[in-house]
Amino acid sequence: MATPTLTRPAPSATTANSLKIRQPRKKLTVGRIAAIAVAAFIAVLWLIPFAWATATAFKTETDAAAPDVTWLPPSGFTPEAFVKVFQDGNIPLWTWNSLYTSAAITAITLVISALVAYALSRIDFKGKKVLMTVIIASIIIPPPVLIIPLFYQMLALNLIDTSWAIILPQVIHPAMVFVLKKFFDQIPRELEEAAVMDGASRLRIFTQIILPLSRPILAAVAIFVFIGAWNNFLWPFIATNDGNLLTLPVGLQTIKSAYGIQYAQNMASALLAALPLIVVFLFFQRQIIKGVATTGLAGT
Amino acid sequence: MATGLTGCGGAAQASTVQDIAFWHLLSGGDGIKMQAMINSANQANPGFKVHPTVLAWGPPYYTKLAMASAGGRPPEVAIMHASRVPGYAPGGLIEPWDLDLLAENGVTASDFAPRIWEKSQHNGKVFSIALDSHPFVMFYNTDVAGKAGVLASNGQLQEVNSPEEFKAMALEMQKVTKAHGLSFGYLGSGSQMWRLFYTLYKQHGADMELTPGQPMKVDRDAAIESLEFMASLFDDTIAAQAGDISTGIAEFARGGSGMLFSGVWELPTMKKAGIPVDAATIPTLYGTPASYADSHSFVLPRQLKLNEDKRRDVYKFVTDVLKGSLSWAEAGHIPGYQPVVQSQAYRELTPQVHYANAADIIAYDPESWFSGSGSDWQTYFAENVQNVLLGRDKAAAGWDAFEQRTNTLLSRPNPV
Amino acid sequence: MSTSTLSRPRPESLRKPGSRTRSNLSGWGFATPFLAFFLVFLVWPILYGFYMSLTGKSLTGANDSLLGFANYAEALADADMWRSLGNTLYFTVISTVPLVLVALVMAALLNIGVPAQWLWRLSYFAPYLLASTVVSLFFTWMYNPQLGLINEFLTGIGLPRVAWLNDPNVAMWAIVIATLWWTVGFNFLLYLAAMQNIPAQHYEAASLDGAGAWRQFFSITLPQLTPTTVMIVLLQILASLKIFDQVYQMTAGGPGGSTRPVVQYIFETGFTGYRLGYSAAISYIFFGLIVVISVMQFVITRRRSA
Repeated sequence: MATPTLTRPAPSATTANSLKIRQPRKKLTVGRIAAIAVAAFIAVLWLIPFAWATATAFKTETDAAAPDVTWLPPSGFTPEAFVKVFQDGNIPLWTWNSLYTSAAITAITLVISALVAYALSRIDFKGKKVLMTVIIASIIIPPPVLIIPLFYQMLALNLIDTSWAIILPQVIHPAMVFVLKKFFDQIPRELEEAAVMDGASRLRIFTQIILPLSRPILAAVAIFVFIGAWNNFLWPFIATNDGNLLTLPVGLQTIKSAYGIQYAQNMASALLAALPLIVVFLFFQRQIIKGVATTGLAGT
Repeated sequence: MATGLTGCGGAAQASTVQDIAFWHLLSGGDGIKMQAMINSANQANPGFKVHPTVLAWGPPYYTKLAMASAGGRPPEVAIMHASRVPGYAPGGLIEPWDLDLLAENGVTASDFAPRIWEKSQHNGKVFSIALDSHPFVMFYNTDVAGKAGVLASNGQLQEVNSPEEFKAMALEMQKVTKAHGLSFGYLGSGSQMWRLFYTLYKQHGADMELTPGQPMKVDRDAAIESLEFMASLFDDTIAAQAGDISTGIAEFARGGSGMLFSGVWELPTMKKAGIPVDAATIPTLYGTPASYADSHSFVLPRQLKLNEDKRRDVYKFVTDVLKGSLSWAEAGHIPGYQPVVQSQAYRELTPQVHYANAADIIAYDPESWFSGSGSDWQTYFAENVQNVLLGRDKAAAGWDAFEQRTNTLLSRPNPV
Repeated sequence: MSTSTLSRPRPESLRKPGSRTRSNLSGWGFATPFLAFFLVFLVWPILYGFYMSLTGKSLTGANDSLLGFANYAEALADADMWRSLGNTLYFTVISTVPLVLVALVMAALLNIGVPAQWLWRLSYFAPYLLASTVVSLFFTWMYNPQLGLINEFLTGIGLPRVAWLNDPNVAMWAIVIATLWWTVGFNFLLYLAAMQNIPAQHYEAASLDGAGAWRQFFSITLPQLTPTTVMIVLLQILASLKIFDQVYQMTAGGPGGSTRPVVQYIFETGFTGYRLGYSAAISYIFFGLIVVISVMQFVITRRRSA
């Protein structure tokens, strides 16, 4: 079945959900065959870097550095490079660092963004318009512009070379506030009225009615923020120097100097670093694609 | 063991192993030797364990070291080129060594050659402890030299005293190799161009001073003459016109030339290549013996919270490494610690002993916050003189552009 | 962007009489956690960064006297800053075009209805999930002049070797190719989602009129996608302007500064050269440029949709 999963009816902030799924026309025409051929060609092209890295990683160092560039090495394939990387590398440590910092960033972002988005969507309070305008305007601030003052701030707070320095500045996502607010706007108010009659507090309405209805968008935002945090290079690179705190992307940057020119080991490290998100993607492909598609247009 | 005795009341902690973070920028053969020295220090001292972190040579390493020191949670000890100390000491990014504590561990000023000890000081305090000096020297292929008839009676290369004599000797070697007389790769490497340039410049007996707020003090004629001489070597007969460092090394290693200008650290590569190699300081072509050099030195990055026990362990570690630096000498470097240099074992190392005299004639970079090994300043040098060496630009033009670039740097606010 | 949705009247039922103060309290209460982070880690750095740009602040802590606009004056006369800014703009232009066009082609091919969609989506989108460092390792290896797969292929079909990352004329293109491979999947997904939201009736009507697939693409798909395209181009330009990771990892700005983007120059003046104040000034010049570009895009989009 080729049902496009992207348009499965789901409440979404940026894509209207009333539209119908367009079933692909099944006729095999010359045009369609050509399209499939081109699509396949691009797909192969796009898979080559993975394949070449994998082939290299399973070679001996001698074969990898041999002047005869070949897919099938003369001494055969061996997991040697992976074993080596695991023995003297820090990949498990870096993976753990990435995992807990990204999880913390995602959790804090979700909580604070959903709270403020709820206020912007449902509560009438003085200064709301100004707040909304300021948040929207801040979307255009590119993080690299802030590296110097943020570094200085972390110096002043004595947080350089701590996990907090990685986490704290990464939890502000104005665009995600906007995405959540638009979603909350679409939730029918009638659902809350009964609770209001019962005298439920705002916080209770928020946690017991709004949040459960917002699972898809919360998941989408979480996925988007997590991927961003997991792969962020520039800020963790600036905020940490201590080898015990490096995240995966930053740690990986140091292997070139530590190993010298060990091509097989370099590729083995790169693949091991790539593995966690790729595996997660294989399992949660639909959610991830939907998440990126719904939040993506709101900006990064 | 003995480590427990040095701590005051630290007996309770003697059982816990202190983790000492150590950063360095040594890769390849140097990195392997350093790892071996760390391992033996760790073995000899059960009270601590040194964990090395290796970062890429040059700006990446020094940038990270400065950032970590500013942040206050840097490694307990790090390697720094002595030429970089003026960029780190004044702003307090590194801390001075305690000479009493060094003496307790059996190391004093008299254990270092005067030039090297002098270099380890800044404003009267000792900020760096030199593991070595690594001058820029000349390797030569004794086989080629012998056939070319340029060996002296002691089996070493005959002495030459002028640019003309040197070129004549190189041409003799070229007739033997049929390729080149000399190997020197420099493309894209400011450090490499600077090493040879500064050697030749200092051989003029000239000085160079970099004082913020003032134009650079330099002997322009000596600088231009040095550049012109360099350019005249790259004529595709004496030496290849264009090639990078590794091309030059590979050429010499396969016998494609008679001589190689290079840092001493390439010695293991040459030995591995199996060619008959000897070495000497770069011939004195302009009257004053001089040789560009730098020192890998130990420094103490600034700590937010100083752990006295760890500091003591660092002193023990560093002094142990110094005392065991014979293996570092095997990698080509001249140990900074004189008892090793004067040992019989060192005197039996050839060709190391043939350039050990370099320690008396070494010239460190002119001091400033922006100069030194692997600095951006060396990159600017490359940007301005590479075309001179390639024969596309006049030496005077390239030099003046570099001088102007340097003056711009000097005119800017001094950040240290 | 219109703010009319903000002032939409709230249903009276949700508003208890006389609860104005309570609403104010709970509104700001809900906003407080976000606001706290927002003020401390975004607003304060922006303001403080501007103050820094007026001083001689240094990484070593030395010399933090107030200089007025001297840093800005110096930056505007700094050839290296202009060069790096030029590199960033150059990269933005030559990367945005393929990143949008290739994404459109990919989405269009899939939208025609190829079987096993998930497989294609996987291969086009997977690179987007990689860290920049992984991408850089992959491509540095493939670009290797002697041992690289790409040069092997080129020599195999009789073409000369290319010094991908070592030739000042080629290096930026090598970065663009790696970036295209890495991030095009994101734009592709956005296009695919938008295409699949185009009502089928549009195509059915066109089919009855006898329009072929080719014509349908240009007369229906493309026009329907215009708002998406505008957004994608906008986002892509902003993303490309921030270029740093791949360049720093693959060429470190070389050869000879030919790929060094302005973010790297900010990094180097601040951290390698210690001059945080000067570096902050360059950051603000760069920020100004981004604001100008954003406003320009805003104006152009407005005019087009008007």
